[in-house]
Amino acid sequence: MDLPSQAIWQGFFNGIALGWIYILMALGLTLIFGIMNIMQFAHGEIYMVGAYVVYYLTASNGVNLFVATLLSMIVMAVFGIFLERLLFRHVRGQVLSPIVVSVGLTLILQSGAVAGFGVYERSVPRLSQGSFEIVGSMIPKDRIVAVVCAMTLILVLYVFLKRFKYGQAMVASAQHREGAILQGISPNKMSAMAMAIGCSLAAAGGALAGSLLMLDPFMGTQPLLKGLVIIVLGGMGSLLGAAIGGMIVGLIDGLVPILFGPAPASLLPLIIVIFILVVRPRGLFGHE
Amino acid sequence: MNRRRLIRMLGIMAFVVFLFFVPVLFDNVYWVSILIITAINALLATSLRTISIVGHFSLGHVGFMLLGAYSSALLVLKLGISFWAAFMMAGLLSALVAVVLGYPFLKVKGIYFAILTLLTAESFRLTAWNWRSLTGGSLGLMNIPSPSPISIPAVGIVTFDSESSFYYLTIFIVLLSLLALYRLEHSHFNFNWRAIRETDVLAQSVGMNVLWLKILNFAIACFFAGIAGALFAHYQRGLSADASSRFGVLTSIYLLVYMVVGGENRFAGPIIGALLITIASELSRSLAQYQPMMIGAIAIITVFLFPEGIIGLPGRLIHWYRYKKNGMSA
Repeated sequence: MDLPSQAIWQGFFNGIALGWIYILMALGLTLIFGIMNIMQFAHGEIYMVGAYVVYYLTASNGVNLFVATLLSMIVMAVFGIFLERLLFRHVRGQVLSPIVVSVGLTLILQSGAVAGFGVYERSVPRLSQGSFEIVGSMIPKDRIVAVVCAMTLILVLYVFLKRFKYGQAMVASAQHREGAILQGISPNKMSAMAMAIGCSLAAAGGALAGSLLMLDPFMGTQPLLKGLVIIVLGGMGSLLGAAIGGMIVGLIDGLVPILFGPAPASLLPLIIVIFILVVRPRGLFGHE
Repeated sequence: MNRRRLIRMLGIMAFVVFLFFVPVLFDNVYWVSILIITAINALLATSLRTISIVGHFSLGHVGFMLLGAYSSALLVLKLGISFWAAFMMAGLLSALVAVVLGYPFLKVKGIYFAILTLLTAESFRLTAWNWRSLTGGSLGLMNIPSPSPISIPAVGIVTFDSESSFYYLTIFIVLLSLLALYRLEHSHFNFNWRAIRETDVLAQSVGMNVLWLKILNFAIACFFAGIAGALFAHYQRGLSADASSRFGVLTSIYLLVYMVVGGENRFAGPIIGALLITIASELSRSLAQYQPMMIGAIAIITVFLFPEGIIGLPGRLIHWYRYKKNGMSA
């Protein structure tokens, strides 16, 4: 191998960091899908707007990055509840209408961002400065901080779903809607919660990505697609599947372009997805 | 009923005759070029609707257009095949890829098809963008020749390098393709496809090969998307797979919007949707920055207020009028 191991290790750590951001996207998507049976194709735009909220808080108002991320998560959660109440609640249970509503929302938010924020790339402050040495190569600290933040959020989500009354209600509603209604669990309340949690996870993903990469109004498309790959790979509605799918997709993103060039890297996720569908259509960890 | 059919036939014929006289009536390269793009969009949206007959919705129809565009352009540029052969081969290649992808994609149910087609289109686009040796990468393909001249008996040699001659070629191919799709919708296939849309389990239990019928449907739709792509390539003379180009996700979204706004249930719906939205966005060119926003808003309003689309509006108005009149008299 004529490539320096330095480049490979950096690709590896970049891939891991991106992977965790993609997992945040995928978890939001799969949560919303599980409760509402709606695929939120505008989730990438929620991610983008979340990143811009952080940008305006930190750049213009000098708010601390972590506080800004938390505020952005809250803002996007409220926005998510608003979207659920205004749009998605009325198209639940249909096939074509939710698709059209969510892609229409994509168009509105994307061109709204172009009009409001401009097409120029922007950046938010780094999560953390400097780098440290692992296995003989320098790894930027901000990658590690991003991974830790994403892991913490996912852990919080896991504990919420397993240990708290409302979390359990959400799991019940996802498993069997009518059964949950009989137990007095309101599907509308659960939908609003799913949208709120999903959108705040996307906002967190956007904020983390914004501090690693750049911001622009079209930044949401690729993470949305990665999130979708992860869902198909890991199985709809599976947390473990999403985590493992996210690692696979992140590592493909980080390593394959370095090792084999960009063209195989752009086809590989599709090939893996097709392979999984042929061999195991419900995904790696999905249920029937 | 018969009279209505006659009126409709006459209307369609008048429209077709009008289309053939457009370059004569408006001697304006700008509007002719808009109409070429509109015709290509109409074919894409109609072939997208063909997939919706089996109850699936593609968010990646543009991927097959890209496949047709690049394969036709590359066959002509690199292998020196004539446009006419390359054009058919582009359609067939798109259909072949659709058959190969259709097997895994159509086996799984529900929202998966929309997700997978979206992924396919973006994967194709990124591959075209990154495969420098074949597609020119970020520079794109340039100097794609216009269709080679043909000699038609009684007309003589026809060339296709002017705007209006390409317009006639596009209109001819698009109308022929639309006719083929229309006839297909009135064949026995349509009966099977609609049965699958309503209840695929029952369709399977009465002996229909559901998966194969779905794959066939997907392949036919993608064949016409490939054809539309080939036309686009030789009209534009240059191709780029930039995210903001014609081959980006937005085009697939627009095609879906044309279909829904025009009216998904009727054959003419996507054509009317493509025509009205493309012309409306040309007329509002000064607001280009806000166009996606307006189109998105139109799509959402359509879903909530008149789900049958524009084509369902006259019927709705008549219904409303009658209801009101009867309400008054009763």
